[in-house]
Amino acid sequence: MGVTLPKVSRRRFLGGAAVLTFTVGAAGVVGVTRGTASSVDPVRPNIWVTVTADDLVTIVFPATEMGQGSSTALPLILAEELDADWDRVRVEQLDRDDRAFGNRLFGGVLYTAGSTAVSAYFDPLRRAGAQARQTLLRAAAAHWSVPVEDLATEPGAVVDAVRDRRLRYGEIAALDDVTFDVVDVTDQDLKSPTAFRLIGSDTPRLDVPAKSTGTERYAIDIRVPDMLYAAVLRAPVEGTGPAAIDDADALAVPGVVRTVALPDGVAVVAERLEAAFAGRDRLSATWTDGGEVAAISSDATLAAYTEAAADPGRAGAVWRTAGDAVSAIAGADRVVQADYLSDYAYHAQMEPMATVAAVDPDGRGAEVWAATQTQTLTMRTITDVLETTPDRIRLHMITMGGSFGRRTALMQEYVRDALLSSRATGRPVKVVWTREDDVKFGAFRPAAAQRLRAGLTPDGRLSGWHHRVATPSVIAYFNPIRWEQVAPNDIISLRGAESQFYAIPDLLAEHVITERAARIAPWRAIGASYTSFAAEAFMDEVADAAGVDPIAFRLRLLADNPRGRHLLERVARMADWGRPAGETALGASFAGYGDSMAAGIAEVSVDRGRGTIRVHRFWAAVDAGLIVAPDNALAQIEGGIIYGLSGVLKERITIRDGQVDQNNFYDYDLLRANETPEIAIHLERGDGPPTGIGEVGTPMVGAAVANAFFALTGRRLRHMPFTPDRVSATLV
Amino acid sequence: MTELVVNGAAVTTDADPDTPLLWVLREHLGLMGTKFGCGAGLCGACTVHLGGQPVFSCLMPLAAVEGQPVTTIEGLSDQDDHPLQRAWIAEQVPQCGYCQSGQIMRAAALLQGNTAPTRAEILDYMSPNLCRCGTYNRIVRAVQRAAADI
Repeated sequence: MGVTLPKVSRRRFLGGAAVLTFTVGAAGVVGVTRGTASSVDPVRPNIWVTVTADDLVTIVFPATEMGQGSSTALPLILAEELDADWDRVRVEQLDRDDRAFGNRLFGGVLYTAGSTAVSAYFDPLRRAGAQARQTLLRAAAAHWSVPVEDLATEPGAVVDAVRDRRLRYGEIAALDDVTFDVVDVTDQDLKSPTAFRLIGSDTPRLDVPAKSTGTERYAIDIRVPDMLYAAVLRAPVEGTGPAAIDDADALAVPGVVRTVALPDGVAVVAERLEAAFAGRDRLSATWTDGGEVAAISSDATLAAYTEAAADPGRAGAVWRTAGDAVSAIAGADRVVQADYLSDYAYHAQMEPMATVAAVDPDGRGAEVWAATQTQTLTMRTITDVLETTPDRIRLHMITMGGSFGRRTALMQEYVRDALLSSRATGRPVKVVWTREDDVKFGAFRPAAAQRLRAGLTPDGRLSGWHHRVATPSVIAYFNPIRWEQVAPNDIISLRGAESQFYAIPDLLAEHVITERAARIAPWRAIGASYTSFAAEAFMDEVADAAGVDPIAFRLRLLADNPRGRHLLERVARMADWGRPAGETALGASFAGYGDSMAAGIAEVSVDRGRGTIRVHRFWAAVDAGLIVAPDNALAQIEGGIIYGLSGVLKERITIRDGQVDQNNFYDYDLLRANETPEIAIHLERGDGPPTGIGEVGTPMVGAAVANAFFALTGRRLRHMPFTPDRVSATLV
Repeated sequence: MTELVVNGAAVTTDADPDTPLLWVLREHLGLMGTKFGCGAGLCGACTVHLGGQPVFSCLMPLAAVEGQPVTTIEGLSDQDDHPLQRAWIAEQVPQCGYCQSGQIMRAAALLQGNTAPTRAEILDYMSPNLCRCGTYNRIVRAVQRAAADI
């Protein structure tokens, strides 16, 4: 992040001035230390807040930044309760696997994913801020020898209104006649939401200026003295590696230093990046036999998943169950059934993978500049590769040029390859992937086949809902340690299928865990990007079978969910739902992510000759509880809608002979500016717990488009993405 | 050695003449504001101005730009205060930010030829530049804000 003060310069700047530090543990602030800058070890664990004599408040950012804005939102929550002067707040990236700062929604692992940063850290940050504020209040009271009850805080200062005097936080940090104690706080010590100055305001993001001036630094931008560059020729089939390497031509390229055999490829290391790429182009390697993996095709895989979803003899792991869905459907007046399919999808974060590593001469320590969603698993990758311990690693977590789930796995090959290349050459190495590398060796949202069945009563009411999702377990592949803890419940593969926002007495959602046939990973909105597409497009089919307006049908199911009803009614008004279809038509969807809910309506037209769908406008109403940063929340929701549209309309990875067919943005294109709809978002401003905004925009999109397409054409789109060939086939 | 004029300053580089301008700017000259996205002129992250016109620096061999003035995001304004940069901040456009140098450079070229672009004109002109975070609508707002400011 551009705003982060390097630790070294902070220390130099402060010299011998007073520093007040607050250390944290699982229960909140557990220690307060006053010293001078030179007496505070800047890498000492657990320092969450530092107040210095120059009134700067430094707050540690325990997540990582991929564009979602939590590097502003999280420090802002603590600053709110501390009553800090936001203009004097500096943010410091947490660069260690220090579980005192862990994400409680991931068992204390440092993991920035699942739209959880604000929801996981909201309470601990508020409490820590409130504790630090109380410590400052009591120190000021002791200094003035007055009751603490006489004092209050204003941004950056303790105020004694009775005696008309004030002490800035920096002045308090420098007091030498008081002790600083840990203060426990209760909920009563937290601000009431009506007293918030920062939370709920449109405080600008701290990283936006650097990102508007080309001065933000990403991992791919890191340059260190004596650095080499590496490009990796990777084995085309998963599970294979180099059998024989002929690097004579590669080594003949001026500037190429050497090649390095990797478990699944060969790195060409050179003095210049262009030499590394040129050397890689001239490298020859033969690979070990891929066996059955080399025969994989995505068409056959999806066909097998479709069979699995349809096969009643194929047991599923229960994801959510209520009542007796199977009996309810069996006894229904009418049964509706449909199969929904979705292909592999690629993250396409704009920054191709890059890492810089400088391995120590003994091979057991390293300085690493990495951009990932998890300090914990990056540290684990490094210590596994070097067979060492975390104390030997100097890690720098760098802001990401997008991620969307890509940089989350237990073993991070883009980090590993920099380490192995540096260790082999004895110099720092920057590994840079090309876009082709990033596509071919991506890890994808899994392909999925889903069978949905629902019963209807004679009067057109829902009676039983059965949602079978046939797809592999993402967690079992990308984080097998986690799988040991959670199996057979795979939230990455199944999220959304719980349909929890509706009151459906007889519901069964199950995961038919199929064989994995590609590298797979979480992808923005995880399972909900396809399960909510299927569920909400199918809901339209059921409503149609019942002869009921799609929104009216959903509103009946939301009888127990007034917040959800409100969203759907609101978005219907925004879009003028009910107006007759003409050149365009509307389609509705009600989905969400976790406990955040979203209702959306798409307005589409179809070019019947070309088979292309154009989305003209998209309306959304979203309830994500308390909103910390409203303007950023709107940006995230809008980005999530566009990410969803891009995936729904265009994105498809296919695999033949065990290899990814696509290469670059010419055969894996994303939604472009001239395809972007106007988007209007109503954001509820709740006072309940914040439930996340990073992914809530995405799940509703697929069904809204499919349902609008049906309203326009009378035809159903059940295979995502809705590519022109599929649209045309549907219209025949 | 190849002579270039980058952001108004004469520089020389010993990079091979067929080296893409992008790598010369980034890895030889240390101008990291211009980004690598695709290497194929498909995403626009590497957009710079060559003689005032937007080009994909990833496709431009060094030999082809010799002697011509190159402007990067670092040279767009003296104090990082180009109306577009101010507008980008005012509208809080960036999310991950990786594509935004290229977006701003392309938008700057648009405003040179069209001082009051419509939403449709902006979206059409900007469509060579991908943004995976989905900031396109904010880009429209920022370009129109900057246009009003120029």
